This record gives sequence, C-alpha cells and structure tokens, in this order.
Amino acid sequence: MSSEPPVAALRLSALCKSFDKAAVDRLDLTVRAGEFYALLGPNGAGKTTTLRMVSGLLAPDSGGIDVFGVDALAEPVAAKQIMAWLPDEPMIYDKLTPLEYLEFVAGLWGVPPERAEPQAEALLRRLDLWEQRNQRCEGFSRGMKQKTALAGALVHEPRLMLLDEPLTGLDAAIARQVKDLLVERVAAGASIVLTTHILEVAERLADRIGIIRDGRLIAEGTLAELRAQAGRADSTLEDVFLRLTQEAA
Amino acid sequence: MRPGSLPWLVAHDLRLSWRRFTALFKNMSATRAMVIVSIAFLSFHLIAWPAARWFANADGAGEMLYPAIAAGLLIILPWIISQALTNATRALYTRGDLDLLQASPLHPRTLFAARAISIAVESVAATAVFILPVANMNALIGGAHWLAVYPALAAAGLSGTALGLALTLTLTRLIGPRRMRLVAQVVATLVGASFALGLQALNIISPETRGRLYDMAAHPPAGSLFDHDGWLWLPVRAFAGEPWSLALWMAASVGVFAAAALGLGARLGRAAIVAAGAPQHSTQIKPTRSRGFRAGAAASLRRKEWRLLSRDPWLLSQILLQIIYTAPVSVVIWKSLGPQGSLSLAIAPALVVIASQVSASLAWLTVSSEDAPDFLASAPVTRAYVERRKLEAIALPVGLFIATPLIGMAFAAPEIAAWTLAFCICAAVSTALLNLWHPSPGKRGDVMRRHAQSKLVGAMEHLLSLLWSVAMMLALFDSLWALLPGLMALGVLAANRPRKARRAAIAVQPTGMTSTATSMR
Repeated sequence: MSSEPPVAALRLSALCKSFDKAAVDRLDLTVRAGEFYALLGPNGAGKTTTLRMVSGLLAPDSGGIDVFGVDALAEPVAAKQIMAWLPDEPMIYDKLTPLEYLEFVAGLWGVPPERAEPQAEALLRRLDLWEQRNQRCEGFSRGMKQKTALAGALVHEPRLMLLDEPLTGLDAAIARQVKDLLVERVAAGASIVLTTHILEVAERLADRIGIIRDGRLIAEGTLAELRAQAGRADSTLEDVFLRLTQEAA
Repeated sequence: MRPGSLPWLVAHDLRLSWRRFTALFKNMSATRAMVIVSIAFLSFHLIAWPAARWFANADGAGEMLYPAIAAGLLIILPWIISQALTNATRALYTRGDLDLLQASPLHPRTLFAARAISIAVESVAATAVFILPVANMNALIGGAHWLAVYPALAAAGLSGTALGLALTLTLTRLIGPRRMRLVAQVVATLVGASFALGLQALNIISPETRGRLYDMAAHPPAGSLFDHDGWLWLPVRAFAGEPWSLALWMAASVGVFAAAALGLGARLGRAAIVAAGAPQHSTQIKPTRSRGFRAGAAASLRRKEWRLLSRDPWLLSQILLQIIYTAPVSVVIWKSLGPQGSLSLAIAPALVVIASQVSASLAWLTVSSEDAPDFLASAPVTRAYVERRKLEAIALPVGLFIATPLIGMAFAAPEIAAWTLAFCICAAVSTALLNLWHPSPGKRGDVMRRHAQSKLVGAMEHLLSLLWSVAMMLALFDSLWALLPGLMALGVLAANRPRKARRAAIAVQPTGMTSTATSMR
C-alpha cells in the first residue's frame, strides 16, 4: 500500500483576500475527493469571495489553492478544466437556446461532440428542459435558467463543483431536482463545495460542514462533530450554527 | 405642490429626466456637469454668430428669410417628433416607476398628461441647446423680435410631442407591442435623419432645378404651397416674430397638445398595460434546430458571438442606421470632385468610415458587453484567447456590411476596390483594437452610447476613422501625403496601447472580460 495521503479535491492554504477590510483571512480548508462539503457563514463572512478565488474569478492576495493536486494559481487553465462554477445568478445567454448553450460550454471545455451531445440530451431530459431545448432562454423563468446553468456546469463532467447558493429563488420542485442531481454526482465520484443559507440543505446533503466567519474557519466537521463542538447534542444545525457564530463574534 | 397633482407629477418626471441626463456625466458632480453644459451652451453662441449675421442681412432683404427659417424648421420639427417618439416608447416600455404609478390611485389621464408634458420638455430641451444660441445672437444683431423663437420653439415642442404620441399609439395599434419598440426606434432615427438625408437630394438634383426651387421659395405664387401667407407657413412666420402668427401658432400648439395629452392619456395607459404584458423579445418557440454539436473552443466562441449578434435586430438596426448617416458624406465628396469624380471615388472613404464604425460597435458588443463574463472567466481558456476569438468573430459581420458595395466597386474600378479593401481592414482593425484595449462595460442596448464613460476613447475612435478615410482619399490620388494620416493613425493607436504594466495586470486579472467587482458576501 502507498503511504502517500489521498489527493484532496480542494486544498486552501493560508488564503487571504482584502477589499476595504479582510474578506478572507488566512483560510485553511481541505475538501476530500468525493465529498459533499457545505460552507456556511453569515452574510459577509467571505464564502463567495473564497469560491470566486478558487474558480479563478478573483486573485488572492496571498496563500495557495490546489485542485486535485493542480496549483490553481500557477496553472489556472488546468485547474479550471476540472472545475465548474455555479453562482446564484445563472450565467447564461438569453439569446441562446439551452442546447446551444450546452454546445458552447462543451466547446469551451473541449468535450468531444460525440460525448457532449448525448450528455447534453441526458442532462436536459433529467432536468425537464428537453421540451424547451430549442427555445431561447430569454423567456425562461429564473428556475429554468438556473437549471440550464446547472446543466452547463455538469456537461463537461467536472471533478470539483463550486456552487454558490444555487438554490436561491428556486421553487420546491426545481430545488428538489437540483439537489437530487447533486447527490447523484457525488455518488458518481464528484466533489462539491456548496454555500447556502438554507441550513436544512446542508444538514441533509453535506458529508462535512465548515462554518466561516470574518474570513476564518471557526468550526468544521460532520453534523455530529459540530453538535459536540457547540455542546448541543440534539440540536438542529440552525441552533449549532447560531451558537458557533455568536461565540466567535 | 399637492402630491398627486399634475404639477407634482411633472416635477417628479422632470427630476428623473435630469438624473438620467446627469448620469451621462459619470463620476462627475451635478454642479460640474452643469458648468460644462453651460460652457458648451455659451460656446454655441460663438458658433451661431455667422448664422446670426446672415439672418440679419436676410431680415433686411426679406426674400430668403422665410425659406431659410422653413429649412430650419424642417430640421427642428422632425427632430422633436423623433425625440417624442423615442421618449414615449421609453415611457411605455421602460417600466421604471410606471408600475408603481399605475398601481396607485392616480387617474391615468393625469399620469399620462404629466408624462406627455415631461416628454415635451425633454424634446424641446434637446433642440433648444442648439437653436436658442442662434436666436440670442440674432436678437443681439437683428433686434428683439428674434426672441420670439423662445415661445415659438416651445409651441413647436408641444405640437411635435403631440404628433410623436399619436405616432406611438398608431404604431402600437398597427404592429403590436412586441415589435413596436424596435420599429419605433428605427422610425425615430429615420425621422430625425430625414432632413439631413433630404438635403443631399438638393445636392444631387441639377443646378437648373435647384435654381427653380429657390426662385419659387423666394417669390412664391399666391395660393401655392410656397405662399408665405398660407397656413402651412404659420410656424415660419411665428419663428420670424410676427405677433399674430406667433399667438396663433402657440394657441394651436397648446390646443393640439392638450387634446393629445388628455385625449390619448387613457389610450397610452392601456398601451402601457399591454406593453407590460408583452415580451420585449420573441419568447415563442422558435425551433432553431441544432445541426449537431461541433468541436473546439475557438469555433464555439465565434459561433456564440454570431448567434447573439444575429438574434438582436435592434442592435443591427442601430448599426445599419450608422451607415445611413454616412450616405451624405459620399454625396458631398461626389459633388466636390466635380467632373473628374466617380461614384467609386466618392464611396471609398465612406466605406472606410463604415468599416471602422461597425467594427468599433461590434468590438464593444463582444468585448465590453459580454453577457456572462464570470462564466467565460471560469472556463479553461485564457482571457487573451477569448479576446482573439471575439475579434475574429466580428470580422465576418464587418465584411458582410461592406461586401456588397465593394463587389460592385470591383467591377467598376478594381484598383479603387483593392485600395478600399486594404484601408477598410486597417480602419476596422484599429477601432477594434482601441475598444479591446479600453473596454467600457455596459449593456448591449447601450451600444450607441458606449462612450458615455470615456469620451476620450470615443474621440480617438472617430479620429482613427477620419485619418484612415483621409489616407484612403489621398492614396486614390496617388499622393504620397497619404502616408501622413496613415502614420498619424498608427501613432494614435500606439499612444492608446496599454502600457506594459497595465497589460501585465490585465493578463493576470482572472475576472471576466468586463466582470463586475466582487462584493463581499
């Protein structure tokens, strides 16, 4: 047996980013391969800033970002090749149809057409968008746009998905579809980092939960471990979250 | 003012109009913007001086005064109607506070009468900046009766707005709310440009016919269309300061405007409700079937840009209208070349201008107005790669815009066509690079106002067009002087190239083409 530790899906080392004040402050965080990791925190805690730095949308002031062993700061293109980024506001083109959008995404990520096309069809069918595949996205509801964006994030089969509050504004049915698809992806071996304010989602889906405040990780572990840390054995995640964030204040 | 009253609503609308205007002077305080506008307004008085002297002489001689004022009115009135049409369309389609106001217990008639008044004020203000300096200088040289232009212009604003509102409603009824916005904007631009284009017709007709027209305007037969005492010439006489005509013109304008504002108010309200329920773009199922996925990031990026451009008819119409405005330039050049001139020689520099302007607009659309910058920034391709593909993508539409006249020219004068193609490429590449080096993020719909953020870049863009166009003209006459504007254009380009440090900063900047700043969340 090899003595080398398994490669982490994501490893952040002393990551720092300041705007007017420190948004992310010497953040160390590790997400294991095949793990569903929920990053929680109050507004302004630095969750989005962290994810934007990982996805290459924001340059950190200092620190390191490794994605499956690839140094994302030194080799951003190689790191982006195995990642997908999905923010709360769907990043799609109103004048394109869902099928055209997926073709565009597949082209950017260099997925061969013979693999991308059936994959796109499967995703659109899975997300109930197949009937609308030839309609321009401009007439879509927010939920449909978000599902299109999610299909785009999945069409190139990323190993690490960064999801920034992807369920914001979605109705119960669409939210369920999205959650089920994410769980399937993790079961298939993908890793997910998800930020959310809907604590029930983190409680149900996440393998581990990290709580961030003022740009620092103040607690991390499974729900049971967090409960123990907060000294509240039978509490909900909401109680634990509030207790831990208030303690750190 | 009583809240909810007509004056209160007018004041509310005018405050919003003023803020839209000051928003054009980004990063500038309202006071500073006001100072700049005042200086510009005063400067126009100096420019108006020669016109005022001409009017003073004509006022004495008499015969050409009315035709000259009529010519001026033929510019002003279409302009006002065009402004009213644009503003009325915006009032219907840009919801802004309309939802709030319509949900309030205000009577629709009051609401839309107030909106009509603010449209009239906006329309007059846009023309007054240019007309009033002429009136002031005329009054200084030729007498106080020229101050009649003030009330006459206000009256013109009221009648023009009434016509604009009626036209808006007619268009809505004829073509439906979905297509209305696009058509109204095109019609507004064409109406606004109609006189400028019409003037060129005067340049094209033979000197004999032109002479006959001038003669008829100066010495009109009684009872004819040109008869200065006829009702058609009422606004002309009002602008010239004839008291009774002025009174009649004002009374008629107020009457027409009141009838339109009050009579059409309820219909405007209904149209606004219909417009709110109608999609601005086609959301109907349009089975644009994919012909199967194709491979490659470069091809995907280019195809994406072509699709987005081809699916926005409004943008294309705006770019096409730019081309219409260059038509008079060709006519002027053609006429100025005299007997040795050919149509090819006249069209060539205009084509260079068209290539540069279309290229600049498309470069801005693709680079600065990217719909999903963060998405592109998260893709496994470098920023430079994406930008190169975007610039490649615009080469096709630019080529399509100039292809037809170039092919025609190639049959008539192959050498001129070859030179024109070469200079079109230089001009198009120059303005595209300028927009790439100095991106100014904005919405796609703002393509014609893209230089509001950086007037300097706008000026440089026009300068490059002009320099390449002049170089083209000189090259066609085998003049070595063509090198001078060509080198100057290259110099302008070199001076605008980002410095090494800035280039490096842009290269490592991981955000998208025009990604917005990240807020802390």
